This record gives sequence, structure tokens and C-alpha cells, in this order.
Amino acid sequence: MNTIRIPNFRGWRILILHQMDDNINRLSRQLERLGIEVIVNWPVLESPVADAQMIIFDGDKTYDGIFPWPAGEPPLPLVALMSSEAPGRLEWVLQQGISAHLLKPIQSSGIFSTLFLAQSNFDLRKQMQQSIDSLSDRITKRPFVLRATLELMKRCKLEEEAAFSILRSAAMNRQQTIEDFCACLDDGAVARLVCAFEKQRNTRAG
Amino acid sequence: MVHEIPIGLLYSTTGTYQSMGSEALDGALLGLDEINNDPVIPVSFVPTIENPGAVIENYRRMSEKMLRQHNCKHVIGTITSISRKEVIPIIEKHDALLWYCCPYEGFECCENVIYLGASPNQQIIPLFQYLIPRYGRRGYFLGSNYIWGWEQNRIGRELLHACGGETLGEKYLAFDDVDVEHLIAEISEKRPDFIFNNLVGTSSYAFYQAYARAGEADSFFTPKNCPIVSCNLIESELPMLGASAGIGHISTASYFDTLTTASSIEFKKKVAAKYGTRRHVSSDMVTGYSSIKILAAAIVESGSADVEQVKQVLFDRSFDSPLGSLQFDAHTNHANLHPIIAEVTEQQNFRILSFSPDQISADPYLVEFDPVKFADNVNQPPRAPSLLKVVE
Repeated sequence: MNTIRIPNFRGWRILILHQMDDNINRLSRQLERLGIEVIVNWPVLESPVADAQMIIFDGDKTYDGIFPWPAGEPPLPLVALMSSEAPGRLEWVLQQGISAHLLKPIQSSGIFSTLFLAQSNFDLRKQMQQSIDSLSDRITKRPFVLRATLELMKRCKLEEEAAFSILRSAAMNRQQTIEDFCACLDDGAVARLVCAFEKQRNTRAG
Repeated sequence: MVHEIPIGLLYSTTGTYQSMGSEALDGALLGLDEINNDPVIPVSFVPTIENPGAVIENYRRMSEKMLRQHNCKHVIGTITSISRKEVIPIIEKHDALLWYCCPYEGFECCENVIYLGASPNQQIIPLFQYLIPRYGRRGYFLGSNYIWGWEQNRIGRELLHACGGETLGEKYLAFDDVDVEHLIAEISEKRPDFIFNNLVGTSSYAFYQAYARAGEADSFFTPKNCPIVSCNLIESELPMLGASAGIGHISTASYFDTLTTASSIEFKKKVAAKYGTRRHVSSDMVTGYSSIKILAAAIVESGSADVEQVKQVLFDRSFDSPLGSLQFDAHTNHANLHPIIAEVTEQQNFRILSFSPDQISADPYLVEFDPVKFADNVNQPPRAPSLLKVVE
């Protein structure tokens, strides 16, 4: 049976970018109940973001350039506090790369689950982005693999599978992806691979 | 001049968990009688009593009626978490106060609820701290198929996981489902160290009975070997288990009938006078009674039934109750409680095995829970737990 660890926000710091009002009082009280330190900034994000685990911001009043990073690339989870559901505002908060939202007026319920979902969504998005970046990089370098395979097939008179297998084990020995390995192959390196292969073949034959 | 205050009492006194609902209601009514018959108290409650009959759709309508038609600002009621969650939006909309008296699975802290029931750190954690050093860390988990069972079992899994234990099985039954033989068969095959039972009402009673029957043929199924442990089995349910099926099995609560403190003995006299001497007192009855008495005291002191003013008094002082001196934590709206562990006796009552000498404040989101400390604690020999003291 899988066990999710009890999400624990003890020791967290959350920056709230919102005018101080009743909603923010209620929100702060509930966050403090979860063991979270709350810092409220408005109208400018002044506190250091590096010390915080999350930003909760006013989705109704924030505007372009308020965050010190390119739109949609937040270094930490963003949660939008919304009362307006106007499509223009939804589009804007979505462009910021929010991980969750909370509706105003703030109630006691919903805050814990929003923090939990925001953190999970942010982590998931980061993992997926890393995975996409890595796959894109490998696709870009794929022609190097093809070229190296053909070269080995020609020089060693091998089938495609056998040539590929030589490249794959060489890459593994160097703890590289096959794409990275093949991208750095020059004539000398190919010659060394061919030589090593010939030697092994002769040993086996002898 | 006596101030007439409308209040709502919302308990299911019929349906699958009627036993708990009746206990809490009877407790509240006992308190209500005392207040209304005391000429010194300048407050008189005018109750609206509704019985949702354990039908979830009724809770919203009935609570709405209490608040809208009868102008109640205070509702004492609900047993299950689904019914509480059903009522809370209505309570919030009218800015009223719900007095909730049962143990629950935590992860809630509503500004419009006063919690007298135990949170997980006041029930399941002390229970497992008692249990694991004595019986082992391989549990078999049961629950009724709703939030109480799911979340109690999830926390239980996490506690076992923290100390290197394991969950050998986890099964859920629909409310009122009494087909439990397949559970006995699986337990017989898996041979756990204990059964963590979060079934409620009739399903739970059927399980205890089937377990006792299995024990006639196989000595594995005995409480000494593999106890059934629960966080909400109360005195009034023991007759439903039959004459002997419950004996030796374990429950935890903030109050048991056999508690011998002066405040408990005094309360039992009052219960005997109203309901007869044969009635055992449960934690649900005590918290039902305490909530109405505390509400009256807070209204008298603040001079108003206004929710904010009542809450102000509530957090400022402590209140006498059958549980002893009761305090509420303004940080969480929850009562500080003494967790007690007890086993069922032949007299269909509980014998106290362990009583926490210190009141524990509620930690509904388990913010302070530390798995490493928990593991260290349960890995100590059984006689030295930090939270609980064994009653000699």
C-alpha cells in the first residue's frame, strides 16, 4: 500500500503579494496554523524570493512586470487569489505559470489542499520540463548517432544492430547518453572504436 | 431577567451511528436541563432538536432551518465528518458556531467550529504509541468507506511506516454492510499483530462478533494475541457487541466511564439521577454535556450569544467539566485533552490502561508530528513512553 507522507509546511515562508485586508488576515491566520511564516508585500514584491517556498498573489490587481522573472517561468510555486473570473484575468494569471488558485473571500477550508496541490503541480511541471528538455536535446543529437552507426557498419562490416551496440556500451562506460557520446566522436575516436572491435574479434577468433 | 437563547441540537438518534448520536444528545439535554432549571443562571436555552437519521441529505436542510427559521447562532451536533462538512458551509454563511463533540480525522480548522473531539494527535498517535511496543508493528486496517476510515487508516499507515512496520491489509465496508466473514478469512491468512478498526456502527459490531466466533476455533483471534483497536468505540456501543465479543479489545478516548477523577464521579451522579444508575457514561455524552455548559458560561460572561464574543471568552479562561478543567486553544479552536487508552471489561465497560497526565493541545494538521521522534518513542521498551503513563 502506498503511503503519501503527511504534507508538512512547518518552517515554510510564504510571501503574500496583496493589499492587507480581512481576506489576508484570515489567510495569514490559517497559514500560521500550518506552521508557516507569512510576509505580506504590496504593491511591490520587496522581500527576497530565495528565502520563500511559495508566493500567493492578488490575481485581480497584479500586472505585467510585477515578478522579477520572465512571465511563466517562476522559480517557486505561485498561487493566485481571485475574485474576478473575467477571462482576461484568467489568461493573465495562467501566463504567470500559476500552480493553483484560491477564491476570495478566503474561508478556513481549502487552504491546506491548495498549498498541497500547488507544490505538487509545481514539482510535476518542473520534472516534466526537465524531461522534455532532455528528450529535445537527445532528438537534436540523434543524427550524430546515425552517422556514427553508419561509419562503424562500413568500417567493421557490421549489421546496424551490432554497430549500435558498440556505441551504446562505449557511451555507458563513459556514463553518457549515446547521443552525447556520438556528438563528440571525431575521426580519431571512431578509429579507436574500430581498432578495439577488431582486436576483440581477433581474440575471439584466435 | 432571563435571556432566552435559541440553540440547535442536530444529532442522528436513528440510523447506523445512532448510539453515538443518542449519547451526545442525551449529554447536551442533561446540560440544558441544568441550565434552564438553575434560577441563578440568567440564560435559558430554547432548543430546536432535529434528527437527520444518518441520512446525509437531511443535515443541510435541517441546519439551514435552525439558523434561518429559529435564529440559532449555536448548533451542537453532527457525528460523522461527512455530516460536519455538509453543515459547515451553512454555519459559515450565517456566521454561526458549530460545537463538534466527536473524535475526528483532523485536517480541518474552521473559524466557525469549536472542536471538543480529539484530533489525530490526541487519539491515533497515543494509541499507536501504546500499542506498537506491546503488540508489534504489523497492522490490518479496516474502515467504513468514507473520510474517517480513509484518513485514519492513512495516518495509521504513515505511523507504521515511520517505525519500520507494515500494513498487511486495508479493507472498507459501506455503511451498514455486515458481511464481514471475508475480512476474518483474510486476517486468518495474514496473521497481523493487531486490527485497527475504523468501521462505524453496525458494521463494526458485526466485525467484533465475527472475530469472537473465529476465536472459538482459532486462538489467534483473541485480544491478548491480536487486539482490535479503535479510536471511537464507546460505552453505549458495548451492549451491541453482545455479552463477550468486546472483552479485552482496546479503544482510546478523552473520557471513559471508569475515570475516577472527582469531576467524573460528580458527573456520573447527575447522569444516574436523570438516566438511571445502569447507564455507562461515554466521551460523546461528556462532550455533548460540556459543550452546552461551556456555551452557557461563555454567554453569561460575555453578556451575548454573539459568536465573536463567545469565542473571546472561550479562549480567555478554562472551564470546569467532567473531563476536568477544559481549555481551548485560540490557535486551532480545539480543546486540549487527556488521551486515555482502555480495554473492554466483562461488565461491558472499560478498564483504563493508560492515562496521559498532561493535557495535549490539538494539532489538527499534524504540523508538529515528527516521524523520527515517533519511531524513537515506540522503539523504547513499553514502560517508558513519553506521552502516556501506565496506571499502576
